[in-house]
Amino acid sequence: MDLVSVRRFARLLREHPGAARDLFTAVELASCAGKRRRVEHLAARFAAKEAVLKTLGTGLGPRMRWTDIEVTNDPDGSPVAGLSGAVAARADVCGFRTICLSLTHTAGLAIAQAAAVRANPAELSWLAGDSGTKAMDFNALSPD
Amino acid sequence: MANEEFFPQVREAVAEALGLDEDEVTAGATLLDELGAESIDLLDMLFRLERTTGVKIQAADLADYVQGGIPDEEFGDEELDVIKPAGMSQLKTVMPQLADMDLDGKLQPEKVMSYFTVQNLVDLVASRAATVSS
Repeated sequence: MDLVSVRRFARLLREHPGAARDLFTAVELASCAGKRRRVEHLAARFAAKEAVLKTLGTGLGPRMRWTDIEVTNDPDGSPVAGLSGAVAARADVCGFRTICLSLTHTAGLAIAQAAAVRANPAELSWLAGDSGTKAMDFNALSPD
Repeated sequence: MANEEFFPQVREAVAEALGLDEDEVTAGATLLDELGAESIDLLDMLFRLERTTGVKIQAADLADYVQGGIPDEEFGDEELDVIKPAGMSQLKTVMPQLADMDLDGKLQPEKVMSYFTVQNLVDLVASRAATVSS
């Protein structure tokens, strides 16, 4: 889980105009462009990246880039994390096949929760929570 | 390894990122524990340093510098959750303050960056600057 101060994040982006390109992919930036609460959305995505890295146990490790994690939305609008580069390699070493994400944000805080599991999405029985985020039915997990 | 050249710029960057007086940013202060820096603050410092020194340091470069190219499996033992001897030797090179701390066989990988000091950041900037100019 990770929590980001939206004000602090806004300050970072304001004082370092190039930061957004280092932290986010073009897809992520495009998905947040034009939104009234753009900085909140970006802060939530940054929190998601931090949360994902925590599941891998490394933080931002050697050769990893923030853009190795791309947070997008599936057709239901639920957040999903796509991995590439050194982050994907680390997830592979850990045996993780699926990253589950849940994001929320207000004017003050962006919060993200990530869970990495050693199961394919097709092997999971998904339950939709009231918040619209996806929860996992642990009873449906296949044994290793 | 201790370097003085970039200390003023690092001190300024750390102070501005964390909202501290420069007097509070001493060479031996640890960024995460004693100065209370979070991930966003580290990013802020690195962006400021790029602007003032011309040296671009990615956040992952911190881990690269600390691990020194040693493969993960040689650097730390994931099962025992401890830095291996080869990793400790590397860490004591880039973080000399660890040599006096009796951490051999005890240091957990996730705790390494909690020992990273302002001086270590100065040395990293100097190291990267030397790489760029060579």
